Amino acid sequence: MEHLILRDLDIQNIKNIAVYEEHGGYQAFRKAVKEMTPDQVTDAVKQSGLRGRGGAGFPAGVKWSFLPKGVFPRYLVVNADESEPGTFKDRQMMERNPHQLIEGIAIASYAIQCNQAFIYIRGEFPYAAECLEQAIADAESRGYVGKNIFGTDYHLQIVVHRGAGAYICGEETALLESIEGKLGQPRVKPPFPAAVGLYNKPTVINNVETLINVPLIIERGAQWYASLGTPKSTGPKVFCLSGHVNRPGNYEGEFGKMTFRELIYDLGGGIRNGKKLKGILPAGASGPMVSPLVNEAVLDVKLDFESLAPFGSLLGSASVIVLDEDTCVVWAAKKMLHFFKNESCGKCTPCREGTYWLWRLLERIDAGEGTMADIDLLTSVATQMQGRTLCPLGEFATSPVLGTVKLFREEYERHVKERGCWAKK
Amino acid sequence: MPNVIIDNKPVSVPNGTLVVEAAKQAGVDIPVFCYHPKLQPVGMCRMCLVEVGTPKRGKDGQIETDANGKPVIAWMPKPQAACTTVVSEGMAVRTDTAQVADARRAIVEFLLTSHPLDCPICDKGGECPLQNLTMAYGPGTSRFPVESKFHNEKRVPLGDLIMLDRERCIQCSRCVRFQSEIADDPVLGFQARGRGLEITTLSDPPFDSKFSGNTIDICPVGALTSRDFRLSARTWELRDYPSVCAHCSVGCNLLIGERDHAIKRIVPRENEAVNEIWLCDKGRFAHHFATAPGRLTQPLIRRNGKLETASWNEALDLVASKFAEIKKQNGAHALGGFGGDRAANEDLYLFQKLFRHVIESPNLEHRVGWSATNVGADLVRLYGAGVGTNLGSLDKNVTVLVIGADPEEEQPVLRLRLTRSAKNFGAQLIVANGRVTKLAKHAKQAVIYRHGGEAAFLLGMTRAILDEHLENQEFAATRITNLSAFAKSLEAYSVEKCAELSGVSVEAIRGAARAFAQAPNGLIVYGREAMFAQQSDLAVASGIATLLLITGHVGRANNGLVALYPHNNSTGALDFGLMPDHGLGRAQLGVKGLAARELATGKVRALYVMACDPAADGAFVKPEFLVAQDLFLTDTAQLADVVLPAQAFAEREGTFTNTERRVQLFRAALKPMGETKPDWWIIAEISKRLGSGWNYGSAREIMDEIAAKVPLYAGMNYATLAENVQLPRPRAGQGNASHAPTEIAMGDLENISSGKTWASVAESDASVKFELMWNEPKGQGAGARGQYTLAVARVIYDRGTLVSQTPIVQPRVPALYLEINSQDAQALGIVRGARVRVTFEARVIEAPANVDGRVPPGVVLMPQNLGGALALPLGARVEIEKV
Ligand SMILES: Cc1cc2nc3c(=O)[nH]c(=O)nc-3n(C[C@H](O)[C@H](O)[C@H](O)COP(=O)(O)O)c2cc1C
Ligand code: SF4
Ligand code: SF4
Ligand code: SF4
Ligand code: FES
Repeated sequence: MEHLILRDLDIQNIKNIAVYEEHGGYQAFRKAVKEMTPDQVTDAVKQSGLRGRGGAGFPAGVKWSFLPKGVFPRYLVVNADESEPGTFKDRQMMERNPHQLIEGIAIASYAIQCNQAFIYIRGEFPYAAECLEQAIADAESRGYVGKNIFGTDYHLQIVVHRGAGAYICGEETALLESIEGKLGQPRVKPPFPAAVGLYNKPTVINNVETLINVPLIIERGAQWYASLGTPKSTGPKVFCLSGHVNRPGNYEGEFGKMTFRELIYDLGGGIRNGKKLKGILPAGASGPMVSPLVNEAVLDVKLDFESLAPFGSLLGSASVIVLDEDTCVVWAAKKMLHFFKNESCGKCTPCREGTYWLWRLLERIDAGEGTMADIDLLTSVATQMQGRTLCPLGEFATSPVLGTVKLFREEYERHVKERGCWAKK
Repeated sequence: MPNVIIDNKPVSVPNGTLVVEAAKQAGVDIPVFCYHPKLQPVGMCRMCLVEVGTPKRGKDGQIETDANGKPVIAWMPKPQAACTTVVSEGMAVRTDTAQVADARRAIVEFLLTSHPLDCPICDKGGECPLQNLTMAYGPGTSRFPVESKFHNEKRVPLGDLIMLDRERCIQCSRCVRFQSEIADDPVLGFQARGRGLEITTLSDPPFDSKFSGNTIDICPVGALTSRDFRLSARTWELRDYPSVCAHCSVGCNLLIGERDHAIKRIVPRENEAVNEIWLCDKGRFAHHFATAPGRLTQPLIRRNGKLETASWNEALDLVASKFAEIKKQNGAHALGGFGGDRAANEDLYLFQKLFRHVIESPNLEHRVGWSATNVGADLVRLYGAGVGTNLGSLDKNVTVLVIGADPEEEQPVLRLRLTRSAKNFGAQLIVANGRVTKLAKHAKQAVIYRHGGEAAFLLGMTRAILDEHLENQEFAATRITNLSAFAKSLEAYSVEKCAELSGVSVEAIRGAARAFAQAPNGLIVYGREAMFAQQSDLAVASGIATLLLITGHVGRANNGLVALYPHNNSTGALDFGLMPDHGLGRAQLGVKGLAARELATGKVRALYVMACDPAADGAFVKPEFLVAQDLFLTDTAQLADVVLPAQAFAEREGTFTNTERRVQLFRAALKPMGETKPDWWIIAEISKRLGSGWNYGSAREIMDEIAAKVPLYAGMNYATLAENVQLPRPRAGQGNASHAPTEIAMGDLENISSGKTWASVAESDASVKFELMWNEPKGQGAGARGQYTLAVARVIYDRGTLVSQTPIVQPRVPALYLEINSQDAQALGIVRGARVRVTFEARVIEAPANVDGRVPPGVVLMPQNLGGALALPLGARVEIEKV
């Protein structure tokens, strides 16, 4: 199968601009600027059905068309903060196929008539940042970035902004605060960034993987793109596979074609040491766990944005973490809550206090000091966080608890009864 | 005006109203922690969650209705924050549901998980929103294991005045927002994240703001405490007495929290027209003078060269007999009086009555260390800002010309309110000074004139208005007698010439002229540096009057003049004619008394000095018989023959008149110290001994007489002045504290104002016609030899008697310094902190240099009230050398 996103796997050195050009690179951008109006580009992206790959799956073209008419300047911000546990797809794209991303950024910028784009990149990705800076410099030297692109009066600057190591800065409004030099805390919405974004100007924020799809749509047409995937989730999708599998890594497939069985067993080579598969975290730490032990049907679901709903979970950014039968879910939940209590920005009460409380409770139970009442307390605390936080992080933080208690309550009870963790004994 | 239904109660509120505010109007209480009506909403604490729905629309876009014809409401699946949700037409809100109750219980429970169990020793206890809302909405018991509690630092000094307890902080950001939004000193911030999110100060020195104390009041918990009040009383043991600040002439309303006959703390009292709910740190903390151990407590008489204690009768008899004797020998002109502008109206009124009607001498003054020639007194009487002007809520229809003033240092809360008007409501500020001041940051136009050029700048504005025919012709036709003749007489002063004289560009002058003339409303705020313009002060004054008149900006709210005077009751001293040439109600007098300088330098045989210290102000020659009436043994008192111990503002009642002519009542809070007496009582006793036959039993009676005798004060008695002032409840054991501090902390403001403002002539008498006049601007100041122009300004933390009694603010009182531009400093080889020598005529002063960008090249600034630099004239030419 031809890779559309992870093209580095098919074409050696595609990160080199000359190689990228040989393979049709920047022709889509040329076509957009020379032959299409900005609105036509936006329409094409709308028709393609491209949905955001940052987790929420919002239609990209629709988002672009929300910008208020006639308000300038406007900004495009690329979300390259990729900090969700188990997510490493954007990184590979930036390090190995950066020009396709730059081209996507350029086309999107043209479509929304922005002359200044920012790439907000996770601070722990220094190499990826360097790759992007090199790619931007190369693109500039060929006239794809800078002034009077393709001889028109369109110009574009792209800046790479390194984050300082906060998961919350992947949330789009915290990200904007961070670029502005402020503490990374989410803003109240509305107003949405499309209306009041970076420096209070209309702003579009898209994930790396979202934008890297854009050249394909312009080059091969919205019809062709929409024919990939399912009617509601179109196009190719990169799945990040990690955990107790033999061959972790990024695997490109199509929405609605890939199943967990194929991903984990065919592509990932199955569970390490021939162990049994116990749990799958489809969306890193942020979505509830599913388990073939509880319902085997989950292995054969064709994965798209909606298809995990009947199993009480979601695909998110498709950061699939696999846990084998030896994994204690209490321990796993504790690890995840440790992550969330560290990464909560602290702005709102239920998340700041709730993540800390949940983590302390899980520590107690994991250490064998918990009571049966603690298990109910755990779900009660998680439940009373839900729907009350300022941003989705606080909501995400409840999934490790609610997901695992729902699937494996008896394991929690065993920790209480046996005064400790069975897996450690 | 969207119509909203809140718990089945319909209200209609203006567009843009937040649900939390709309609920108040519907009489529905929504609990909040982070929201405060004075601050921008942030939606952080999540205490205010409510159910919100909007009318459901069918496919055809029409609102669906139920069987009763009522709109069907589509309720949002999640509760919404009432403090960040804006109302829309037909919105429905529910706060009385199980879901909302559970959300509130959950938020309180979450907050308490990491809150220490400090209530028994916490300063906020008793007036704490967290306590109150826990009682109202919280769970009865905690499900959080106590051993899991998050612990943190309990005593973090955030600067000299404020102590932070990190454990108590609920991360609401009110303090951070107050500092950046209201104080305009963004010196607080958060650092780190999650449960570790914590408040930190971003400035050096830490918490560098003149308004830091306000964060204590609005902090919804006991996280920010006053290092002065800390742990010294429980709030419910305090009895709160309504009073008025005794420092500057903003006249901030406050409550004196008293226990055991001592002031434990001072907190603001709401007055939307004066200080809203704010105080500056000087007003809040520098109250220790009132109870300082150095207070005079007994009369003193000089015997054999030494001041010795005496009885009141001895002292009063001696004063009266000496006065009588001297009057008999040399006539009343041989006596004179300084009645300081810190004294109350009742004292000042009686002081002038004593001199004018009993002693019958015109030798009266109140201006110590203040320009004796300024004519602001007349200007304010004629054109003072219209009644109803609220300097904190001026909008885009008001242009304010601030000239020669530094409100940040002179009248801090007034600066804060002007900034608010500009920032929040779009008031157009034109800030003109010879240097950069804090207020200029939010000015539409900031003008830097050459010192001495202020009058030329005003004249240039006048000329530009006339050139462009922007004058208010209707007003000119009916109220001005001589516009065309006046315009003609100005011909020699083109805008270009004024630009040259003032050092302000032609465009800037024209821009300011247009902005002022074309605005529907115009105010001029006139400060010390303009009043002191050497040789040009008359030209500045007539320039101000002219601008107000030709634009017709007089006689209505948001129009007219606000003159910034130095002390809490400078306006009262002017009103009661403590001047050699003006009498009661600022009436001009035919007979003129001696000027301040003459009184101070021995031109009278007997001098009666009340509530001021002329001897500390430089050249003072003790007259033959000197009487000093004060709280402290001032420089003057040390020279005096008789010293009379007066009461502090906190020990008695009275009224002060603030810079905007608002007369305000203050109540006694403390038992008087020793044998001290109110000033009015002492004056009355002296007068009786001179045969006056006066018989005043209280300050209230004197105010009744003032109201009857002084038309400006007509109708102002203690009853009308007490309207909207919460009086202390009778002492009945414990629990007498007012609710005001709690209300400020909870954000339950009453939007009240109190006090009464007298109307200017332009406002009260529509038949009065005005004549325009102008004076030649004179330009440069004294001391032609020097290369640098000296700016003299006041700083808030001074070396005066009152501030020096409060140890906690002493680190904020700077030593005398000289501010110099970095270009000049470089040319002279001066670095920050280096000692420089300032030479003016025969005087030489040494001080360390403060190198910054606030004074322009060629100008140096020396504060006037830090000692050492007294009586240096503003605008003087001085020489500067490196030591
Ligand atoms: C706590 C949190 C973390 C997030 N982290 C990321 C991230 O690392 N990368 C990303 O693209 N989107 C992240 N998102 C989603 C963004 O807020 C936003 O929805 C996304 O960047 C929009 O781009 P898209 O429409 O192209 O997906 C995060 C959201 C939340 C609430
Ligand atoms: S939910 Fe958590 S991360 Fe989001 S704003 Fe609240 S505290 Fe910050
Ligand atoms: S110190 Fe007080 S006002 Fe400041 S954030 Fe903490 S609780 Fe809020
Ligand atoms: S601004 Fe003036 S009146 Fe107000 S508190 Fe400060 S010193 Fe007192
Ligand atoms: S979130 Fe509304 S009051 Fe704090």
